[in-house]
Amino acid sequence: MSGPNPVVRARAVVKRFGAKTAVGGVDLDVAPAERVGLLGPNGAGKTTTLLMLLGVVTPDSGSIDLVGHRLPRHRTKALARVGFVAGYLPLPENLKVREALTIFAGFYGIRRPQPVIDAAIDRFGIAHLADQQSRELSSGQRTLVSIVKSTLHRPDLLVLDEPTASLDPDVAGRVRTTMLEIHRETGAALLVTSHNMREVETLCERVVILSQGTVAADGTPSEVAAAFDTDDLEGAFLEVAFRARHAGADDRLGDASGEHEGFHR
Amino acid sequence: MSLVRLRAIVQRHWIVLRRAPHRWFEISFWPVMDVLLWGSLGAFVAQENESSRAGAPYLLAGMVMFWTFTQAQFAIALGVNEETWTRNILNVLTTPVREIEYVVGIAVFGLLKLAACLATLTITTIVFFGFDLSDVGWGVIPIVMLLVINGWALAMLTVGMVLRFGQSAEILIWGFNYALMAFSGVFFPSEYLPDLLAKVAGVLPTTLAFKALRALLDGNPLPWGTLGWSLVGSVIALLLTTSFAAWLLRMFRRRGFVTRYS
Repeated sequence: MSGPNPVVRARAVVKRFGAKTAVGGVDLDVAPAERVGLLGPNGAGKTTTLLMLLGVVTPDSGSIDLVGHRLPRHRTKALARVGFVAGYLPLPENLKVREALTIFAGFYGIRRPQPVIDAAIDRFGIAHLADQQSRELSSGQRTLVSIVKSTLHRPDLLVLDEPTASLDPDVAGRVRTTMLEIHRETGAALLVTSHNMREVETLCERVVILSQGTVAADGTPSEVAAAFDTDDLEGAFLEVAFRARHAGADDRLGDASGEHEGFHR
Repeated sequence: MSLVRLRAIVQRHWIVLRRAPHRWFEISFWPVMDVLLWGSLGAFVAQENESSRAGAPYLLAGMVMFWTFTQAQFAIALGVNEETWTRNILNVLTTPVREIEYVVGIAVFGLLKLAACLATLTITTIVFFGFDLSDVGWGVIPIVMLLVINGWALAMLTVGMVLRFGQSAEILIWGFNYALMAFSGVFFPSEYLPDLLAKVAGVLPTTLAFKALRALLDGNPLPWGTLGWSLVGSVIALLLTTSFAAWLLRMFRRRGFVTRYS
């Protein structure tokens, strides 16, 4: 499942927000050049897990090594080799695309950014966007520029949180193609969250399904589908969501009757 | 500390400033309006009688130096807020930029803005009131430095509050600034504040800095003792507020407050 030096190695990671356990002891490895989909119903803990893997949110317990560096102590070294794209995240306003890329290249420590940016603009075919204000971009253009921004430093790991959410199928397809090309050309591992199961099947060779903050399944898309006795990944996802919903209802019933633990048994 | 990253932070805020005309108000419009208002008040008081003559330079120099403090504070406080306003915090936090690099970067950029602001205000006071603060001499430089340190200290306090309480705490950036103006004896000796407030004001490092400024304006030598105590207080304030902001940053990461801005 994972090589000897995984780009992500998380062990027993726990995160609680007040009384709610968002992530309840997740183990996750991502091998170099591996394409992994992190799936789960809304509220399953995907984004919290990603934010902990990126060192943005501190886990309550557990350990995380990112591209060989222990977090949070070596966050800077680790993030120099990681790129992050989120479909919901805008680029900074008031900056033209080229300016935003220049600044993020600086953030990634690239000393002479312009040749790198020129090459990336050519490579992704976004020359027509270079002098546009970031706020004028469409959702698809913004996602594309975010991918460019996050790959200027040729990361070993590209983390994508719902990269194609709110994109039309055509643009989403091009974004997926771009991600696969980056993966093929640079050998970067991909860690992707998405609610689009077909997308995950296209992009990822392995999927990890989270449910209620724990790993409910881990394997190739076909293995995961088989584990839930369904035809495809979407079926498995729906089964996980169904069980989570019922477990949640059970919890609420148990809480109400004061028989929380006994109810499950 | 990476110079490449520092340069990128300065560049980011330079572009924001260049692109947004309303941001120039902080450097030019508001400070100039304050100087015109308080300078005119000083001129009016000065022509009333001979003993009030000192009032005009007190008001003018006080206002120029208060804007020195304010520029240093705004540089960091509004610099961090820029990332919350543009929902860019998560973008920044997922790059190798260290928090300390970010603060140093915006502080450095703030010094450039401060230089522009001081140049504007010096020209304004010379042209409209015939008052040149540089006539006071080199003694004004350590006072500027003390006020810059205090501006940074207050900024770290408000940055911490914004990290903890979100954008609703932004008002404190202006609120604390105004409170410091009231309690620091910017225009007059702090002993003239109501008794209880005067006791509090008397120990503020900003009060001691403005006291040293008035000594210079009165033609006295620089009161190194007062400046020394101000420096001690300023450094303690900066250490305390930076520790406070660092503590709240750890809380920000622990409680996942970043999702407020993404």
